[in-house]
Amino acid sequence: MEAQQDWNALSDDAFREIFREWVDANCPSGLRFMRKQRPVFDEVAEWYHLLAEKGWLSPVWPQEYGGMGLDAGKHIVYVEEWARLGCPRIPDHGIGLTGPLLIQYGTPEQKAFFLPKILSGEHVWCQGYSEPNAGSDLASLRTSAVADGDGFIVNGQKIWTTLAHCANWILLLTRTSSDGPKRQNGITVMLVDMTTPGVTVRPIPNLRQETDFCEVFFDNVHVPSANVVGEVDQGWALAKAVLGHERIFLGAPSRPEYAIRRLERLARDRGAFDDAGFVARYAKLRLDLYDLGSAFERFARVLRAGGTLGPDVSVLKIFCSELYQRITEEMLTVAGEDARYWDDLPTGEGDVDAMNLYLDSRAPAIFGGSNEIQRGVLAKGVLGLPG
Amino acid sequence: MSGLMLDDPDGTLEMLRDSVAGFAERFDGPEGFRARRDAGQDLDRTVWSAMAEAGWLGLHLPEEIGGAGLGVAEQAVLSEALGRALISEPLAQLSVFAGVLLAQGDGAERDRLADGLIAGTAIVSPAWQGRDGAPAPLVARVHGEDTVLTGALCHVSAPVSATDFVVLAEAGGDWMLLSVPAGAGGLSVDAAPTLDGAQLGQLTFRDVKVPGNAVLARGNSARAALEAAVATTRLALAAEMAGIAAEAIDRTVAYTRDRVQFGKAIASFQVVQHRLVDMWSDAEFAQAAVVNAVETLADGPGKAADLAILAAKARAGDAAVTITRRAIHLHGAMGFTDACDIGLFMKRAVALNATLGQPEELRLLFVAREGVAA
Repeated sequence: MEAQQDWNALSDDAFREIFREWVDANCPSGLRFMRKQRPVFDEVAEWYHLLAEKGWLSPVWPQEYGGMGLDAGKHIVYVEEWARLGCPRIPDHGIGLTGPLLIQYGTPEQKAFFLPKILSGEHVWCQGYSEPNAGSDLASLRTSAVADGDGFIVNGQKIWTTLAHCANWILLLTRTSSDGPKRQNGITVMLVDMTTPGVTVRPIPNLRQETDFCEVFFDNVHVPSANVVGEVDQGWALAKAVLGHERIFLGAPSRPEYAIRRLERLARDRGAFDDAGFVARYAKLRLDLYDLGSAFERFARVLRAGGTLGPDVSVLKIFCSELYQRITEEMLTVAGEDARYWDDLPTGEGDVDAMNLYLDSRAPAIFGGSNEIQRGVLAKGVLGLPG
Repeated sequence: MSGLMLDDPDGTLEMLRDSVAGFAERFDGPEGFRARRDAGQDLDRTVWSAMAEAGWLGLHLPEEIGGAGLGVAEQAVLSEALGRALISEPLAQLSVFAGVLLAQGDGAERDRLADGLIAGTAIVSPAWQGRDGAPAPLVARVHGEDTVLTGALCHVSAPVSATDFVVLAEAGGDWMLLSVPAGAGGLSVDAAPTLDGAQLGQLTFRDVKVPGNAVLARGNSARAALEAAVATTRLALAAEMAGIAAEAIDRTVAYTRDRVQFGKAIASFQVVQHRLVDMWSDAEFAQAAVVNAVETLADGPGKAADLAILAAKARAGDAAVTITRRAIHLHGAMGFTDACDIGLFMKRAVALNATLGQPEELRLLFVAREGVAA
């Protein structure tokens, strides 16, 4: 891994320039603008290892742990350029979730053992949070962990576990106690080796007939005590705390931006810009996207000034995911009779994956806290409405 | 997060906000709205004079002609605060629009009008539109030193109170902006009440004769002056509507927290909460769009600034109109009364939204200017 300089000392523009140049020169062209939203590790391993070698795999980890040590403002630049250049999403639960959690709450032994294995790609992580009856209401989770000698015995089931079928470690929320007055108490964070006997992964084909999420079953799985993060029964606060400024990226305009460029391509090919009705609808979508950029900037500015995000940032996630849906809905309208087909639509400027995007756009309004959950957060946390 | 989040290194913006807050204590917005409407007036001269004393009317005029020489950020903050307070005198037309026209003109007559505008002693009203809102220049014929004007102009603010009009005319394909005193021979005024409790006028010119020194600008500089006035005023209107949007959601949150039905505040019902959140979200986006336009324009005029202003006016207009409409609904039957202020905010929002282009028209201008269709 190359030694890192103090990136935060550079201007945003200077950093953008350096980052873009290297990424554009090194990210394999076959991996750009992939149709698949969540490729598995092997499909993008080359890019993962290139980034790791450069020391750019992990933008926000402190440099002492092998990260770039970017502040929030530089991280925004990193993510923006990544999207602009069409780099593929890599399996990033180790980088974005387990790593930050261990850096903040892990023991020295946990950090020394796990962090390098994330960077090397030896450990590929997934996130074991949701359960069949604990989705939006996550605190009702029931996967049990019962103390047993030097560890715990885990039984239960997780679901919607993204990329579990290519992961070998899972960051697991378990129920270690149900005695407390609040359900949030009694939850424990555990690091679980998925090769342990008793762990079964079953992929779930999604709406796009791809498998990027799974069910994970735990049948008397032994987890050593050394793999508990933080205190037993105190995991809820940890799981919450790890989401910091990254919440802004749930509202980053890159998905609707990509979709509207494809809509424009299709519309030019089909002569839709000659149709006043289409132009009016397109103009609304175009301005919504433009204004999403202005709203995103409103929050990005807070971060660049060293501030922290409040619950109000959820407004971006709601608007962004709903705009993405509206754009893809318009694509099908423009496609007309061709909206009956599964395959990408050919145009004079290349294929347009209208159906792929239409189906994909159902997901962001659900994951990361459904838009109804987000509205509840805004109602309580921003408008101060009574419960 | 709320309000226009703009850099304010020397505290000027904060002072402007305080200035409007103090003003609103002396001149209550909704009360003034009703009083002016009920009296059938087109302008409250007492309020207008106080606005002049506050130093607001010449805010963006250059210092060479007696203005404060402040920028678009200051104008946006002032307009946003006026929107929140529902101080509904036609500042956008009589100060911003007229001021930009005068700033681009020259000559002794221009200086006289600028002095009067800033002091509040002259009411200088721009007159340049046809019924459809597009520029509709009068026909100008030159007779020796004089110019003779014929035609009609619509949507003129303060048509009765105006002391002077700045009118658009055309001679031989050339546009010109001229100063015409109210009461000029051959000029007649028809005033009609507006939704926002004022009056707009149609001016009819029958061989109105003005002297040669009445020409404030001609040719390309007249055209440029009008374009600049439209753009700057759109931004001020956007800011004012963003203020209306923010105030309407604040008031509706307060009302629904107080209003008890079924033994609970109606704001505790999820269906009401989600509606309030969507309204708040629209208000936030309006604020963000206005900030974007202010900052883009501050970087200099051009395509980027044009786009940003069109977006801001469209976004803030949609936000103000739809938020106030939904606010009336959430106020229940009370919202349908004239006594409830929320209806006045809706009426003001609709009127401002209809001024200088409604959202769909502005969005179509945006995409045409961006040119992705080809």
